[in-house]
Amino acid sequence: MQGPIGIAAAVALFAIGTLGLVLRRDLVIKLLALGLVNTSAILCLLSLDAAPGRTPPFLSPAFTQHMVDPLPQALVLSAIVINFAILALALVFVMRIVEQYHTLDSQRVEHEVEGEDA
Amino acid sequence: MSPVTLVLFRLALAILSILFRRFHRALLLVAHAIDAVLLVGLFARLSTSGTGEFILGPWTSATSIAFSLDRIGLTFAFLGFALSLAVMLYAWRETLRPYAFLLLHLLIGSCYALSFTKDLFNAYVLFELITLSSFLLVGYERKARQIWASLRYLILSSFGMTIFLFGIAVLYHHTGTLHLDTLAPIIASNQPAPWITLSAALLVTGVAVKAGVFIFSLWLPSAHAEAPPAVSALLSGLVIKMGVVELFRLSGVFPLETTLLVLGFITAFLGLVYAIRTKRIKRMLAFSTLSQIGYLLIGFGAGTEGARVGALDYAVAHGLFKGLLFLAIGEIAALAGSDKLEHLVEHRDRFPRACRWVLIVACLGILGLPPFAGFAAKAVLEAGIDSTLVHTLVVLVTVGTTAAFAKLIPLLSRPFGGPRCSISRALGYGWLGVAILFFLPLSRLLVPRPIWLTLFNALAFVEALAAVLLGFVVYRLLRRVPWRLPHAIFGIEEALMTVLAGFLLVWGLLVTV
Repeated sequence: MQGPIGIAAAVALFAIGTLGLVLRRDLVIKLLALGLVNTSAILCLLSLDAAPGRTPPFLSPAFTQHMVDPLPQALVLSAIVINFAILALALVFVMRIVEQYHTLDSQRVEHEVEGEDA
Repeated sequence: MSPVTLVLFRLALAILSILFRRFHRALLLVAHAIDAVLLVGLFARLSTSGTGEFILGPWTSATSIAFSLDRIGLTFAFLGFALSLAVMLYAWRETLRPYAFLLLHLLIGSCYALSFTKDLFNAYVLFELITLSSFLLVGYERKARQIWASLRYLILSSFGMTIFLFGIAVLYHHTGTLHLDTLAPIIASNQPAPWITLSAALLVTGVAVKAGVFIFSLWLPSAHAEAPPAVSALLSGLVIKMGVVELFRLSGVFPLETTLLVLGFITAFLGLVYAIRTKRIKRMLAFSTLSQIGYLLIGFGAGTEGARVGALDYAVAHGLFKGLLFLAIGEIAALAGSDKLEHLVEHRDRFPRACRWVLIVACLGILGLPPFAGFAAKAVLEAGIDSTLVHTLVVLVTVGTTAAFAKLIPLLSRPFGGPRCSISRALGYGWLGVAILFFLPLSRLLVPRPIWLTLFNALAFVEALAAVLLGFVVYRLLRRVPWRLPHAIFGIEEALMTVLAGFLLVWGLLVTV
């Protein structure tokens, strides 16, 4: 994908993900939206140096001429692993919440927790 | 001897503590003994050969994983060590699941690494490591309310870190480096390009979510209040200080003075308003943490080197006494069965006397009375502030803090009565108490000698005393006033929206000023 289009797509994905996080009360959908938000930053990093004719960053004589900048690609690998870990652990915690309160609705969970306070 | 050894050693211990789970106590002792030796070694190296850069792999510092040994990093590594030792002693007798030790080593190791890093992407990875380990530690007891608090923490800080990553993307695209030392001249020569303000706003928003700034970190009160005491002490004392260090490092590269000053005042006073009204003591401590972070940001934004250094110094002092407060309140709340003030007062005769004593020491520390840690750091900070208006507002923060902490007075009566507490806990309290009392020599590591000498003047002493007395008056006046504060803003959706609003505020401030 070309640079500007990729970045525009990343911003759009971020916006959609944020809307999902704020507007949807279902916790699983919230986590999916969080995944979308996280992915948008990765797309943004990858699109920075992308242009027609650029090749993947592999060290071989045929490739090095028009190779894209390898550093963002390396950064993205760490970010993907971290986001995977976050989503996996968050899903386990959502599971515990459902076991306890029998609902996925964030407002109702909030309500139940406040009810325990009083 | 390099910071890398310190970090790698802790991360290796994290794995060893799972492999040899029977020996986790011995491993903890070994960890702290070796950490102490390594920290002393690093200090010796710093004082003989000065600051240094340690690069992993055959690359230049602009693109590789680099650790920098400097006074700031070393001071915060010491804070990490002090709190980790206190928490170890506090939890010595408890039977914990083995993975708690894995997470503890991981958390401390990443905090060491983050203190020494000047690379923004390193900081991103380490922030996420800290988030993951502290998220699991908050929910460690598996109570549903803890799990809900830590889930909100995870979602908000992951969201914040994504914004940080966008900032990294903008910055890397225009400069080709993410190392703060190489960034500083590029940014200074390109002022005021739009991409600088955009990336600064994105980075500050991301870090502010982690650092406990009021409009960004609305996950903080419930996460810090619900977590087990040892974890709260680490979160409030150490973890959010890592965000503060990063904000400090960013403020050395980007022109953030006004932005930090405005954010500082917002978070200092909103935090105080909630802290004064809250009757649940752990929650009150969490709100007080928010307001104290505001105090630090004011120091960063005040514009002089003295105030910046003083604020860093205060960050360390605050880490020590807030850690101690969370540990002691955690113990007495466990005895009383709740952290509500009326329950605590009801059960106060059963509190160990050591708890009373350390509460007194920690409260005097946070009120900034001599000779405790808070006084020294506050004096440095306030000596560095030029503007009278800012100075007055800073003193008002101390007044408000006193008004918030005055409600603890009924808990402190009869300091010689009550049962003894276990030896390991007494040692843990004692260690932090001594650190708070003998803080002055420690702060010499950060504070240059000319500024340090200004501490010893009568005016600062009188000012500290007057602020505390005024705080008691405010407490008496406000006690009977019925006013309710909105608590809906701490819901997850609202907290996300305030992060976005905060981003717009920061961006607007950076563009207009």
